[in-house]
Amino acid sequence: MKQLLSIVLSVCTFSHVLSAVNVPEEEVGNGRYSIEGKVFPPEELELGPWQVDTRIHVNGGEYIGFIRGDGTFVIHNVPSGSYVVEIIHPDYMYEPVRVEINSKGKFRARKVNYIQTSQVIQVPYPLRLKALSKFRYFQVREQWRLTDFLFNPMVIMMILPLLFIMILPKMMNDPETKEDLKQISNLAKMSEMPEMSEMFTSLFSGGAAAKASAAKAKQVKKRQ
Amino acid sequence: MGLLSIYFKSNFLGLLKCLNKLNWFIVFFSLINLSVCIYEDQIGKFDWRQTYVGRIKFSQFDTVSTAKKIIVATEENVLAALNLKTGQVVWRHVFESASTGNIQLLAITDKVVTVSGANPYLVRGWDSATGVLQWEWSLSLENDDQSDFSEWWVQNDLLIHMLPVFGSHLEVSMYHLATGQNRGYTSKLPASWARDSSCVVTPPYYTCISGEKGSQQLISLDVTSQAVQLITRPLSEYVNLETYDGGIRAVDGSSVIPAFTIEDKKIIMIKNNKFEMLTTNVGDASASVALIDIANGPVVLQAWMDDNQGFTMTAHSVATGAELPELRVTDRNLKLPDPEVSSAVCTKSNREQLVCRVLFNCGDDSMHLMQQGGRVLWSREEALANVVAIEFVELPVSDLDAAIESEFDQKEAAKMYSSIWAAFSRRLQTQFTQLQTLIQSIQRGEGLEEDAPSALVRDYFGLHKIIVLVTDVGKIFGMDNLSGAILWQYYEADLDTEGVVVFTRRTARHPPNDAYLTVVGKQEGTGNGLIISLNPITGTLIGERLLKLDVQLLQCTLLHRPDNEKLHALILLDKEENVQVLPRSAAPLVENMFMYVAERNTARVQGYALVFNGQEVEAIRTWLIQLGGAAGARIVRALAKPPAERVHSPGRVLPDRSVLYKYVNPNLVLFVTEGPDPVHKDVVVATCVDAASGAIVAAQVHRRARALPHAVHTEHYLAYLYYNDKHRRTEIATLELYEGKTRWLPAGAAFSSLSSERAPSVERQAFILSAAPTAAATTVTERSLTDKHVLLALSSGAVVEVPWVYLEARRGGSGEEGVVLPAHAPELPLSGDARLNYNRTLARPAAIHAAPAGLESTSLVLTTGLDLFYTRVAPSKTFDLLKDDFDYYLITVVLAGLIVATYSTKYFASRKMLKQAWK
Repeated sequence: MKQLLSIVLSVCTFSHVLSAVNVPEEEVGNGRYSIEGKVFPPEELELGPWQVDTRIHVNGGEYIGFIRGDGTFVIHNVPSGSYVVEIIHPDYMYEPVRVEINSKGKFRARKVNYIQTSQVIQVPYPLRLKALSKFRYFQVREQWRLTDFLFNPMVIMMILPLLFIMILPKMMNDPETKEDLKQISNLAKMSEMPEMSEMFTSLFSGGAAAKASAAKAKQVKKRQ
Repeated sequence: MGLLSIYFKSNFLGLLKCLNKLNWFIVFFSLINLSVCIYEDQIGKFDWRQTYVGRIKFSQFDTVSTAKKIIVATEENVLAALNLKTGQVVWRHVFESASTGNIQLLAITDKVVTVSGANPYLVRGWDSATGVLQWEWSLSLENDDQSDFSEWWVQNDLLIHMLPVFGSHLEVSMYHLATGQNRGYTSKLPASWARDSSCVVTPPYYTCISGEKGSQQLISLDVTSQAVQLITRPLSEYVNLETYDGGIRAVDGSSVIPAFTIEDKKIIMIKNNKFEMLTTNVGDASASVALIDIANGPVVLQAWMDDNQGFTMTAHSVATGAELPELRVTDRNLKLPDPEVSSAVCTKSNREQLVCRVLFNCGDDSMHLMQQGGRVLWSREEALANVVAIEFVELPVSDLDAAIESEFDQKEAAKMYSSIWAAFSRRLQTQFTQLQTLIQSIQRGEGLEEDAPSALVRDYFGLHKIIVLVTDVGKIFGMDNLSGAILWQYYEADLDTEGVVVFTRRTARHPPNDAYLTVVGKQEGTGNGLIISLNPITGTLIGERLLKLDVQLLQCTLLHRPDNEKLHALILLDKEENVQVLPRSAAPLVENMFMYVAERNTARVQGYALVFNGQEVEAIRTWLIQLGGAAGARIVRALAKPPAERVHSPGRVLPDRSVLYKYVNPNLVLFVTEGPDPVHKDVVVATCVDAASGAIVAAQVHRRARALPHAVHTEHYLAYLYYNDKHRRTEIATLELYEGKTRWLPAGAAFSSLSSERAPSVERQAFILSAAPTAAATTVTERSLTDKHVLLALSSGAVVEVPWVYLEARRGGSGEEGVVLPAHAPELPLSGDARLNYNRTLARPAAIHAAPAGLESTSLVLTTGLDLFYTRVAPSKTFDLLKDDFDYYLITVVLAGLIVATYSTKYFASRKMLKQAWK
């Protein structure tokens, strides 16, 4: 008698294991769906526990998903609708994805476009999300470099006249260059170059307007 | 030749023009240099972040893994691991703030197991060392109405779910912990004795007090055993039924022994399927009782707080009832309101000494880890995870500065120093004391204490302030803004902080009068007004102290004029529309005061004028607006201007040198309402109402949208956020109000709401925000000369600074004096460098509060939420302060070099002159 009872019991347990297998499908029938995907960490972080710092926000935190050790995630119990899935990491940027679940439980994932909301660029579902780039949070400090200093216009303005003052007179002393200079001046005379003085007078008589604008610019600058 | 000159000339002009343009570009880039971010080496220099987890719901010691931790699950839906030695957060997971994130169970097996949500539930397993998710599965119950009564626990790697159907039966299901497979069927145990109010779960037993009054039975059932075995005893065996008035409570702490208290007096534990009453009685009616297992057998731990005797903790052996003296703690000075033993662990050290750690969860939301002997190892003020109101308070000047200032105070000087000699001697005196303090400071500087906390006196730039934070639980904190250290705390259990407001009624600028801060809230239970006045520097009660009103309050405000003691009176409008003025003596000062009361759910706004009739102040109804019309809208946000705001620039200069004058109405209030619409589903309406006259100044409608309770309102501009349902995106709408190119009033004249008939011109624009905002604010500076930036907290945990030029309605055109505004783009840029908190992500940012510093360029910003984040921002860069990386060393070297060079060349020049003279 006892034996018989135990057999009945074991049959009972078997039947319940079978019924347990069917549980997930029942959930889907309730109009609740699961968004699935995998997050790929940036290469620099692959070793550390990046999963703890990364989380998945659906519609700005309405649903929150957590990442398993292998990078996969599931967001359970989401009713049909349209959702923006964001991967949030303090240092790396991920592109958000819009996941649409229709009332029949069909999934469609597409790129988020807030400006042209009707444009559809599909992305594969289940989602596969890769880090785009590192966030640039900080300004880079300017460092003191010799080249920066030398090519500074103020420094060039100081050094060039200095060169002219120091070097030109020395060159003058050299007889060869003297001859060269003479030749150059002769050449200049021969060519039809306008005379310096004439050029300046014409420039200043006609250039009054230009001068005024320059003055104006200066004034404005002062005000700044 | 002429040709050439013409050619040259035009070229020259072109060059000039080009230069001119370049010049503008330079000006443009220097003025709106939109990258506002900090340098990498400035991390933590001006900012700090404090992470919180919230009030503990469950806690357990994790003594299994090598790094010892406490795992906590909190009311804020946070799962976190805290370092046992320091109390710092090792890892933290923030769940959804809605009911889908409610944590129902925390259990520690080889993994940390949580059950969260509210039908459907999620069962997750976490690695306790790293916090990485190991497995998760979802579970939904068919019986949705009853699911709130679910009880969960873990037993032998099985998750047990029990659902009592009161008066009928218990449904018990067991699941395999890691996979969720249902092992064994959902058994229904008959339990017609189960009652809603008088049952407790002490795993694996379910215990109820059941039966008619006078003949109650204590019934208990092991719900996990195969055979249904009821344990029944008459209740009269344990308590006197004549005085019994109900009350069965499971013991606190994560105890392994099933036990409960009856009537908060007797402790009963279930052992070998029998009730066993302990010989130890509960020491105090308010005591928290816990059973812990130590080497010599289980121990009853009790802790309570008494007003006279302070904190007491006792421990008794369960077996013998003898007290364990080494665990007894009595401390008069320890203030732990309503302590509750959250969890405790005891081990024996090598020398046979008992080492105990008890985690207390207190009524003020703080948690304390206590060692045997009563030493508190660390405390966490988890009340700060729920800040509801903030005020930045100026510090007083030091005594010396106060003396110098009083010297220059015209009135006082005239009183005291009639003769010039008296004034002169006083001058000498103060300078002597100045010298003394200088010498003292130098001497102290040579000593060891370099990191001594800076004295609470105002600094030169006014950057040092005290932040007063009012928290949801009714605890008020004073916090140093530079370090984030808590300076004082005040706990008022009776304070209901819904709609609480804080007023600084007197700043510390008026010695000898102390600074004066008032918190206006409600009383717990009755909803009547409760007013707490304290000195924000020390945290001591002053003035009205703790004032309990016997009437509910509708509205409160500050009188704009101070009385003789420089105190701004508090004006309260109560439910019967009577006005109270605190202090009463300030009533005659009430003049030209207006108030409004907005009802959130009906969108009805009532305006009042306050008039002093010779005896008391009366509130006269003046105007009434039904904002939603007949459709029944509700107010999502009502926002007036910051009361302390001063606008120092009346207009904006346009490129053609004309001035566009701002419409700066101090009485303007923005109402954002949301209501149903027959055609467009939901409609968001933003209305600008003049609160003094009731006139509607501007309005804007957004169809098919949902309002968000975030808006900013300062000077002449307003911005508010809403969710566009049609395009499924968040948008920020901005309104700018201008008087036009001519001024309505002569310069310096005060604006009057009652005498202005003209309507301002309104410029509007809306931009797309590609993130979910959770809070909005603007930067505030001392004189409002600096640019204003809008600060947005996003659900991703970022606090982003958006310059107003990006939100400007006239964007795309040219702005002030040829400054080119950024080209019109529909989407607001939210780049990484606009993020104030760089990679210090904030969990659930809820509010941003900005306050002016003493420097015009700087604004102090505090973001609250689950975390606190403080920083300072300079919207137009720190133009009035040397850069913090200013190289004093280099400039000293250059200067010294120049001086040396000057003198040496002088010397050489004179020698040369001498030589020439000799030639």
